[in-house]
Amino acid sequence: CTQDLELSPVSSMTVNSFWKTEDDAKGGLYGMYGRFRDQAANNLYFWGGARSEELSYGLQASEGRERYFENTLDVNYAGPNWLRLYTVIHDANLILKYVPAINFVNEEDKNEILAQAYAMRAYVYFIMSRTWGDVPLSLEPTEGYGGESTFRARTSVEEVFAQIKSDIDQALTLFPGNAFPSGRSIWSKPAVNALKGEVYLWTAKRMNGGSADLTAALNALKEVQNADVALLEDFDRVFRYDNKGNQEVLMAVHFEDLESGSNYNNSMYIRGDQIPVNTTEEVKAMLGTGGGLNRWAPSEELRNQFVEEDQRKDVTFVEVYTYDEGNNASYYASAVLKFRGFEDAGARKFMDDVILYRYADVLLMMAEAKNGLNQDPSAEINEVRQRAYGDDFDAHVFTGGTQAENDVAILKERLLEFAFEGKRWWDLVRFGKAFERVPSLQNRSGQEHLLLFPISESTMSLNSKITQNPGY
Amino acid sequence: QERHVISGAVTDGESGEPLPGVTILVKGTTEGTTTDFEGKYKLEAPSEGVLVFSAIGYQSQEVSVGDQSMINITMSVDVTKLDEVVVIGYGTQSRETLTTSVSKVDQKVLENVPYTNAASALQGSISGVRVQNTSGQPGASPRIILRGGTSINNPNGSTPLYIIDGVFRSQMDDVNPDDIESMQVLKDAAATAIYGSRASNGVVIINTKTGEAGKTRISYKYNLAFSELQKRYDLASARDFIYFNRLGLAATGEKHPERLSRLDLATGSGIGNDLSNSTSFTTQYLTPENEHKLKEGWESMPDPLDPTKTIIFKDTDWQDVLFRTGVTQNHYLSASGGGQKATFDLGVGYLNSEGIAIHTGYKRFTARLNGDLKINNQLSVYGKINFTNSSNTQVFSENQLFQRSLALPPTAKYQYEDGTFAPGQNRGIGNPAYHLEKAKAFHNTNRLTMSVGGNWEIAKGLSFEPSASLYAVQAINNNFQEAYYNTPTQFIDSRNASASHSTYWQKQFDGIFTYNTSLNNLHNVQLKAGATYQDRKNYSLSAAGRGAATDNVPTLNAAAEPTSVSSSTSQFRTIGFFGRVLYDFDQKYLLSANLRYDGASNLGDNNKWGVFPGISVGWNLHRENFWEAIPKQVSRLKIRASYGVNGNLSGLNDFHAQGAYTAGTRYNGNAAIQNNRMANQDLQWEESRTFDLGFDMGLFNDRVSVIFDYYRRKTNNLLTDLSLPYSTGFSSILTNLGTLENKGVELEISANMIQANSGFQWDVSVNASRNKNKILKLPENDNENNRIGGIYVYDRGSGEYVWKGGLQEGGTLGEMYAYKHLGVYATDQEAAEAPVDMLVAGSDKSKFGGDVNWLDVDANDTIDTRDRVYMGNIYPKWTGGISNSFAYKGLSLMIRMDFAVGHTIYNLSRATFNGQYQGDIGITNEVLNSWQNQGDVTDIPRYYWADQLAQNNSFRGSSFYYEKGDYLALREVTLSYQVPNFPWIKRIGMQNLRVYATGSNLHYFTSYKGLLPEDGGTDSGRYPYPRTFTMGLNVSF
Repeated sequence: CTQDLELSPVSSMTVNSFWKTEDDAKGGLYGMYGRFRDQAANNLYFWGGARSEELSYGLQASEGRERYFENTLDVNYAGPNWLRLYTVIHDANLILKYVPAINFVNEEDKNEILAQAYAMRAYVYFIMSRTWGDVPLSLEPTEGYGGESTFRARTSVEEVFAQIKSDIDQALTLFPGNAFPSGRSIWSKPAVNALKGEVYLWTAKRMNGGSADLTAALNALKEVQNADVALLEDFDRVFRYDNKGNQEVLMAVHFEDLESGSNYNNSMYIRGDQIPVNTTEEVKAMLGTGGGLNRWAPSEELRNQFVEEDQRKDVTFVEVYTYDEGNNASYYASAVLKFRGFEDAGARKFMDDVILYRYADVLLMMAEAKNGLNQDPSAEINEVRQRAYGDDFDAHVFTGGTQAENDVAILKERLLEFAFEGKRWWDLVRFGKAFERVPSLQNRSGQEHLLLFPISESTMSLNSKITQNPGY
Repeated sequence: QERHVISGAVTDGESGEPLPGVTILVKGTTEGTTTDFEGKYKLEAPSEGVLVFSAIGYQSQEVSVGDQSMINITMSVDVTKLDEVVVIGYGTQSRETLTTSVSKVDQKVLENVPYTNAASALQGSISGVRVQNTSGQPGASPRIILRGGTSINNPNGSTPLYIIDGVFRSQMDDVNPDDIESMQVLKDAAATAIYGSRASNGVVIINTKTGEAGKTRISYKYNLAFSELQKRYDLASARDFIYFNRLGLAATGEKHPERLSRLDLATGSGIGNDLSNSTSFTTQYLTPENEHKLKEGWESMPDPLDPTKTIIFKDTDWQDVLFRTGVTQNHYLSASGGGQKATFDLGVGYLNSEGIAIHTGYKRFTARLNGDLKINNQLSVYGKINFTNSSNTQVFSENQLFQRSLALPPTAKYQYEDGTFAPGQNRGIGNPAYHLEKAKAFHNTNRLTMSVGGNWEIAKGLSFEPSASLYAVQAINNNFQEAYYNTPTQFIDSRNASASHSTYWQKQFDGIFTYNTSLNNLHNVQLKAGATYQDRKNYSLSAAGRGAATDNVPTLNAAAEPTSVSSSTSQFRTIGFFGRVLYDFDQKYLLSANLRYDGASNLGDNNKWGVFPGISVGWNLHRENFWEAIPKQVSRLKIRASYGVNGNLSGLNDFHAQGAYTAGTRYNGNAAIQNNRMANQDLQWEESRTFDLGFDMGLFNDRVSVIFDYYRRKTNNLLTDLSLPYSTGFSSILTNLGTLENKGVELEISANMIQANSGFQWDVSVNASRNKNKILKLPENDNENNRIGGIYVYDRGSGEYVWKGGLQEGGTLGEMYAYKHLGVYATDQEAAEAPVDMLVAGSDKSKFGGDVNWLDVDANDTIDTRDRVYMGNIYPKWTGGISNSFAYKGLSLMIRMDFAVGHTIYNLSRATFNGQYQGDIGITNEVLNSWQNQGDVTDIPRYYWADQLAQNNSFRGSSFYYEKGDYLALREVTLSYQVPNFPWIKRIGMQNLRVYATGSNLHYFTSYKGLLPEDGGTDSGRYPYPRTFTMGLNVSF
C-alpha cells in the first residue's frame, strides 16, 4: 500500500528533483534576481535614500514614511527587516552549492552563473552591513531547521566586509569577459568593478582602510572604463522606460509590465485628481497622467540646490504652484519625475528600472577616490557637469580646491546627479556628513548610533541571539 | 379467554401520514404484527390484553383492548432525546447505548429558514461547536470550529471533516437544507477515531433523505424572504462632516501648515469642487452659478473657518446606496415512496437569494435522487445522485465596500449634473452604485456526487457493505472590469479580464464487514472491519487578458492582449483500515473500541502511516437493581468515558514534505525558478488525544434530558508553521513541533415543559459550551518559553519589561494588546504635563487639550511601545443557544437564540472613521461629542484630519476601540400553522398544508458598535449579516 501513497508533484519541482541541469541553474539564477527585484522595488530606497535630506512630507498621509526623513526610526518602526535580503542570499548560496556539480556544455556559462551569485551575495551583504552594521553571516543555503544555522548571532562588520571583498574577487575571477549582457539587468564584470569601487571607498572612509583601499577602489573603477560605457547626452534618456539597459547603465534591476509590480516612485508622484486645475499648462504637461500617491515629496532643501540651467532639475522633479485670480503663486506640491514610468490605458505605471550603478556614479566615485588620494578629481567631476549644464557648462566648470572643499563639491554633485536613486543616505554616511546635511539630524550630532538602523522588535523576538544596535 | 380480532390504522401525529412498520405486540407475549404500507394492521388479542404500539423514533403507546374491534392510533414523535438514534461512523446507534460524544441537530432548525448555507443551522443548536457568521454574502459558509480547533497558527482554519452520504468533503457548501434527513456532529476522539486521519476537528455527518415504503408522496415547499440591514453605522450628516473636517484640517495645520492647502482642494470638505464632471464632491462656496442647486435639495452652511462665506453641499447617505432589501425565493419539490422491493426519494430545489448589498446574490439549483432496491432477502443495493449548481456575485472587496465606500464622505456626488453616476473618490472608496456595476463577475460551481453501494447479508448476523463514490467539482470564474472612471478625471480602459476553470474529482471506495450477535440476549456484540481508499485530483487553468475594445464582451476572446496563462495539477491519496467492537451487557455495561490505520501521500517518506485507537465505556445506572433506591425524579442516568487519538493533516499541502521549487516568475523575460519551501521529510501525522467524561441523565420520567461532557484534548506533533529567524531567508517552516491543549465543558438540556396531551406543548432546549486553550509546548528556539513573536511591554506585576502575547508555552492563543486610553485632556495646561509621547508623528511631540491621556504603564514619563496593555482575546469563552418551541393544536411557535461571550473585537472601521485615517472618509456621530474647546470634558479626542499625522490619538491602537463582542442573537422566531385537512383542501388534491412566517437574525443584543459582532479580532469592514423575514408553505399532494 505504501507504494500507492508515493506521489510526486507535476506542477512544481521538489528539492530532490531540482539542480540537475544547465537549465535548472539558469532558472535558479533568474529566480534570485526576481527576488532581489522585490527588495529593489521599495526597500532599497528606504535603506539607501529615505533618511537623507531628499524628501519631506507630501500631499497624502505619509503612513510612517516621515520616520525616515525625520530620523525617528525605533525598535517598533525599524524600517524593512532583513528577511527577504537573506532570501536572496539563500538563492545565491543554493547556486554556489549546487551549480558546480552540474555539467555544462560550456564551462564559461557555469562560471558566469557562479560569478553572478558571488556578486549578488556581496552586494546584498554590502546593503546589510551599511544598514545594520554587524549582521548574521550565512554562506550556506537554509535547507532545514535546527541548530547553529537557524539561530545565528550577528557577525562583526569587519568580518562581513572581508567576505564581501572575497566574494567580489571570486566574481571578478570567474567572469569570462568584460561585456554587458543585454538589458544590463544582471551582474557583469564592469558592474562588479563598480561595486568593488564603492565597497573599497566605504572601507577606506568608514573602516580605516586608508589609501590602500582608496587605491583599490580607484583601480577597480578605472577597470570599468574599459567596458562599453558612456554618459548619455540627454540626462532624461538614462531613466526612461523605453530606453532600459542604455549605454550609461552598468547594472539595473529590471522592471516590466506584467512581470513585476511598480517601484517606489509610486509614492512620490501625484494622483490625477490632485493635480490642481489652477496650475500652469507647463506643469500639467510635465506631469501628464497622474498616478500613485504623493505620500512624500522632494524637500525644499533639495529643490533649492538645483540651479535653473542644470538640465537635471526638470528631469528629477517638478514643483507645482497654484495661481489665484491675481496670479499670485502659492506652493502646492512637488513630485519626483526621474522614475515617472509610462502611461497605459489611463493609468501610470511606475516600472522604470532601479539603477544600481551607472557611469556617472563611476566617474564621481573616481573623483572621490582621487581626492582621497590627493589627486586632482576635476576631470571626472567636469565630465558629469558638462552633460548637466550643456551650453552653460562654462559657468559651472569645477576647479579643484582643498581636499575638504573637493569633498563638499563631490557630495553635492552626487546629490544633484543621483537624487532619488537610493544612494543619498549612504553617501552622507560615507562622507561623514549626515549630521551636517540632514535637517532632522542637525541638532543631534554625537548620536552616532543614528548612522545605523535599529533592529526591529520582530527580528529580535524570533532569535534571542540578535541584540539591538547600541543607542536604540 | 375471549379473543377477538382487532384492526385499525396508525398515523403520524404531526403529518397525519400513515405509519408503516409499527410493531404491535400483545403485552407480555410474543404475539404481534406490524402495520402495512397503508399503516393498517389486523390481529387477534384477548380482551383483557394490552396492545403495545412501538416504532423507532416514536413514543410507545399502550392501549387496553377491552371490547374494541377497531383501534386507531396516532403516534407522536419521541421527544426523549436520550432514546434518539444517532449516526456514528459507519453505522447508527441508539443514544441509550452510545458511549461517545455526539450531538444531533434538531430537525426543526432546518425546517423554516431558507438557509443559503446549511451549515448555519448548526449555530446555537448544538454544544461544542463554535459557529460564526463572518459574512452576510448569501451562500457564504459560516466558520465552524469544534472545541477550539487544533491549530496554533490558524485556529480559525481548523474546519471539521464533512461526510455527506458517506462521501468525504472539506465543506458542505451548496447542500440544500431541504435534502437533509439528519445532521450531527461527532465530537470526541473515540467517536471520530474510526475516521482516523483528518477527524481531529470533529466530523459532521449529513445524511440525505431516503424513501420509505408506503404511499408515494409528492411535496412542495416554498419560501419568500426579505432581507435587510440589521444595524447601520451611526454616520454623521454632510453638514457635520464638513464642519468637523474643516476644523480638523485646521487643527492638523497647527503643526503641519503644509496640510492646509487641502481646505481649498476638491476634497470631501474642501471647497475646490464645482458642478462639473471633474470633481468628486459637492462641497463648494455659494456662487451665482451654483445658487440654483439650493432649490434642488442641496444645503448650505457658513464656512466654519470663515463664517462670511457660505458652503453649499448635497448630503448622500451611502449606506442607503449600498444596501437594499434582498429578496430570496426558495422552491423545493420532492417525491418519495416505493414498495416492498424498491424505495426512492427525489428532491429538486431552486434558491435565488439576493444579498442586501446591491449587485450581490447567490443562486442554487439542486437535484437529488436516492434509490434503494431489495434484490432478495440477503442482498440490497442503492444508488445516490446529488447534483448542485450554484452561482454567485460578490463585492470586489469587503474592506473597500463595507468599511470605506459605505463611509464615503456624505458630500460626495452620487450623480453628476447630467444624471450619470459619479465614481466617488476612487474605486477603493467609491460610489458603490457605480463601481459594483462596472465589475462584471461570474462564478459558477457544479458539484456532482454519485455513489452506489450494497448490503449483502452473508449469514445471519454477518453482512458486507461495499460502496463506491465519485465527488466531482467544477468551478468557473470569469471577471471583467469595464472601462471606468477611477477618479472623476482618471479613465481606466485597460478592461482587465480573467477567467479560471478548475476541476476536482475524488474517488472513494469503502468496504465494511459487520457482525452482530447476542448471547442469551445479554451479551450484545457488534464487530466491524473495513477499508477505505480515497484519491483526489485537481486541475486548474486560468488566463488573463486586457485591452478589449468594448465593454460589451466580458469574456477573454475580446481581450486584445493576453497578460498571463497558467495551469496546474495536484493529487492526494489516502488509504485506511479500521475496525470496531461495540459491546454491551444487557444494555447496562457498554463498551466501544475502535482502531484505524491510515496512510497519506502528503506525509514525509518515513512517516506515511499512523495508528488511531479509540475506546469508550458507559454504564447505564438506571438499569441496575439498586436504581429503585434512587429518588424517582431521576429517571435515568448513564455515565460514560472515552479516550481516543485522531490524526490531522489540515494545513499540509499535497506535496509539502518534499519541498518546492516554484515556477511562474520572470526576470527580464527569462523564466525563473524559486525555492519557496524547504523539504521536511520528517513531517508526520498530527495527533490529538482526547479524554472525554460525560453523563446522560433523564429527569421526571425523561421529560428533561441532560447531556454533559467534559473534555481535554491534547494535540501533539502539531503541524505548525514555525516562524524562523529572518536570517534563514524563510519566514517559517512547517514542522510537527508543538502541543496545544483545549479543555472545556459542554451541556445540552432539553425539557418538555408542558406535555402534548394537555393540548398545549412547550419544549425548551439549552446548550452551552466553554473552551479554553493553552499552548503546552513550542519548538525549542532559545527564547524564554520558546516564545514565537510577541511584544515587549512593561509588566506591573513583576515590575519588569517582559515579552507578552505572540505564542508562548503556558500562554494562550489570540491575545490582543494596545494602548490604554485613560481619558482626554481638558486643557492645554493639563496636556502640558503629559508624559512625552513617542508615538506622535514628527519631531514635535507637544501635546494639547483634546489629546488622549495614555496610561504610562512603566511610569517613566514617556509613552512608547512598552506601554501597551492586554485588551482581550479574539476567541469567545462561552458559546451556546436557547430554543423554545410552543405548540397548540396545529399552531406552533419557535424561538431560537444563540450567544457568544468573551471575545474582543478591534473596531478598526469605527476608529478609521473617527480618526480620518483614510484622508477623506465619513465620520460617526461620536465626533460630535469630541473635544473642541479648552475645558471640554469628553471621552472623544479632538478631531484631527488624518489622526496618524497629527497627535496619533487613536491610530496607534487605542483601547477605546477595543470592544466586547459579547452578544445574544435572536436568531429565529417562527410561527407556523398546520392547516387541518379540511374537505376543501382535499378536494383540490392537497393535504398537510403548513404555512409559516419566520423572522431570522432579528437582533443582536450587544454593546458592540460595529455591524457584525460574531467574529473576534480586527473588524476592518464586514459584509453585515442581514435580518430576514420569511413566509413559507409546505404542502403534500
